[in-house]
Amino acid sequence: MAIEFKLPDLGEGIHEAEILEVKVKVGDQVKEDQPIFEVETDKAVVEIPCPVAGRVEQILVKKGDTVKVGTVMITFAGAAPAAPEKPAAAEAARAPEEKRPAPAAPERQAVPVQARAGEGPVPATPATRRLARELGVDLRQVPGSGPAGRVLADDVRAFAGRGAGGREEAPRRFAEREPAEPFTPQPITAEPAELPRFERWGQVERVPLRSLRRKIALSMTQSWTHIPRVSSFDEADITLLESLRQKHETQFLKNGGKLTLTVFALKAVVAALQQFPQFNSSLDESTGEIVLKHYYNIGVAVATNRGLIVPVVKDVNKKGIGALAAELQEMAQKTRDGKVELERLQGGTFTITNIGPIGGTGMVPMVNFPEAAILGMARSAQKPVVRNGAIEVRWILPLAISFDHRICDGAEAARFLRHVAELLEDPLQLLVEV
Amino acid sequence: MPKKPIKLPENIEYLSILDENAKVDKELEPKLSADDLKTMYRYMVLARRGDERMLNLQRQGRIGTFPQSSGHEAVSMGSVYALEKSDWHVPAYREFAGMLYRGWPLETMFLYWGGFEEGAVPPEGVNDLPICVPVGSQLLHAAGIGMAMRFKEEKKVVLTYFGDGSSSEGDFHEALNFASVFNAPVVFVCQNNQYAISVPLARQMKCETIAQRAVSYGMPGVKVDGNDVLAMYAATAAAVERARAGGGPTLIEGLTYRMTPHTTSDDPKRYRSEEEMKQWANKDSLIRFARYLEDKGVLDGDARKKLHEEIDEEIKAAVKRFEEQAQSEELLNPLRMFDYLYADTPPDLDEQREELKRFLAKKGKLPASEAGKEQAHTGRERG
Repeated sequence: MAIEFKLPDLGEGIHEAEILEVKVKVGDQVKEDQPIFEVETDKAVVEIPCPVAGRVEQILVKKGDTVKVGTVMITFAGAAPAAPEKPAAAEAARAPEEKRPAPAAPERQAVPVQARAGEGPVPATPATRRLARELGVDLRQVPGSGPAGRVLADDVRAFAGRGAGGREEAPRRFAEREPAEPFTPQPITAEPAELPRFERWGQVERVPLRSLRRKIALSMTQSWTHIPRVSSFDEADITLLESLRQKHETQFLKNGGKLTLTVFALKAVVAALQQFPQFNSSLDESTGEIVLKHYYNIGVAVATNRGLIVPVVKDVNKKGIGALAAELQEMAQKTRDGKVELERLQGGTFTITNIGPIGGTGMVPMVNFPEAAILGMARSAQKPVVRNGAIEVRWILPLAISFDHRICDGAEAARFLRHVAELLEDPLQLLVEV
Repeated sequence: MPKKPIKLPENIEYLSILDENAKVDKELEPKLSADDLKTMYRYMVLARRGDERMLNLQRQGRIGTFPQSSGHEAVSMGSVYALEKSDWHVPAYREFAGMLYRGWPLETMFLYWGGFEEGAVPPEGVNDLPICVPVGSQLLHAAGIGMAMRFKEEKKVVLTYFGDGSSSEGDFHEALNFASVFNAPVVFVCQNNQYAISVPLARQMKCETIAQRAVSYGMPGVKVDGNDVLAMYAATAAAVERARAGGGPTLIEGLTYRMTPHTTSDDPKRYRSEEEMKQWANKDSLIRFARYLEDKGVLDGDARKKLHEEIDEEIKAAVKRFEEQAQSEELLNPLRMFDYLYADTPPDLDEQREELKRFLAKKGKLPASEAGKEQAHTGRERG
């Protein structure tokens, strides 16, 4: 049986070493304690003596390589293990990611970072804990990349979905944020679900979950795992609004804004939020407080060819229909072009998603974490409706709301949604109220 | 009111008996039998070869970082040989030869530097304290044991060690002062290898010798060639005799050189010249002692070769025993770390032990031997 030799911690807390010299060749017969490598750590140049007597089977490193502690460097055949499989010393200090695949399959270096269920304290420094608190990140959810699975500050930042110092930097464009660097597989959830080996049934292809797609996956996982979500549905008869909208559409277009249903929905939602403030809040799990926001920044989901992006219209309550129409038009275009500023992607308090232009008779939207609720609009269409005992043809808009049931209840959600519907049904009321 | 010199009771002497050319001062040569000399040589070689083997074990990841002792054999062996078995031996961390002589099995040393607390358990009947890594703290323990010997009116002597770096620490001064004031039977031996890791002696103190510090504490002090095992023995034997007779402590400075890095994570080339290292390699205590033994007809070349082979086999067997023990469920049980700190474990440690036990159980890593023990460590009657 082949015996593997892994780079040990040659000093106190050495992480890696550079190979200066490989002193043996494949096929060499070696004696125990015979020098096999010369390596340089950040402390010293040291010779590594052979741990066993036997024949060199494979040499997996070469001169000039920088090798991490725990990496298999060389294997021996026909040798009795002088060293135990687990080195006696410092085994506990070895991080899980240092486990390497057997040399038989060296092409992938998958790094299953172990997740923590609720038990025991999460290893992290006080500074990292503070950062996690500030970013609203649950440390238990963060896969640690440090020694022995310690959660590092960078892990927390990565989990929070922003790079180091992200907020302080000048606004960056989405297009610039597309990384071209090589892909390192890493889990997107704390406890990755086990998958079968799909290759057993046929050819498969593995596509890296990169940048935006990964961010969406992370944020949806966060929403799904943290928010006990409930949905409620209603319909708004927007016949009046629709005729108004069509009548003024051209006029608004001249001013650079497209008078879409979303523009009216923005106003209606803010009016409802002012009446039902818990829908404009977040639950702070770490303190057990509801954070009520006294500003109304409404995110609008925009489908782009790279994936879903939610830019935010700030202070909707302070803006008129015309200004909103223009801003929404400009913002959606920038988003689709990948040019929206980073700061316009933050600070939302509630989200609207309108799949109407694409289609669909209804939907169950996901709450945009860490917000409390989201309004879904499906396709409005002319429907036969019973009014005053007679069937009439009316414009009907299907509405849905998904909300965090920890903060809000179903009855309130139904009232909230009805309020939105009523404002959309009666444009005059909309004008009066907002 | 004249201004006149104060006469201090002590003069500081330098002692050398066997010089680096293996020339012996017949007048000062201690009276040691051939068996005594062979025993001393044996443990010095065992320590040297063991030290070299441990470096390989460390480089192979089989033990952790450790401070090497090559070069310190004569200071350790020469002094410890002046002790009776019932006396106390309080080492620092380069007294490998002395510890082996006192009865610590080789594999225990491997266990210690392999990170097992079991390596710090003195063998039954050995009046030694474990290896002490925090520099200088053991001097206070030694002073305390010495004071206890006085109070108990036991005629036992304490021999303790420290490095030149420790002599710059407060513990050193407190220990010497207490031992002196209480007339404790303690012999303080300095392994002066001239570097506190990378700081040379001249950057640590302005006085000529470490030995002269004895004057300040009113005890005899002597500087000895620390690569001369005979001189170390002679100086220590005199100090032990005086201490046993109620004459109080002594400070012995053994001037030597560490032939290795400070620890396995150090690179001495950054602070010591090749030339200096070569010079000191020529002064190696083992070379001159081997020549002395040959000249005296105690141990010739063939006998030495045979001894070296025996020792290498002994080390090989000890490595095997160490690795077997290091893999045993008993030693790998992390709960054992709670067992050695207190004779009676305090309740908060009991709680921590139980917490760790629950954690291990949850992880499925609880050793089978622990699974049956229900709350064995809690609820104990406390007096």
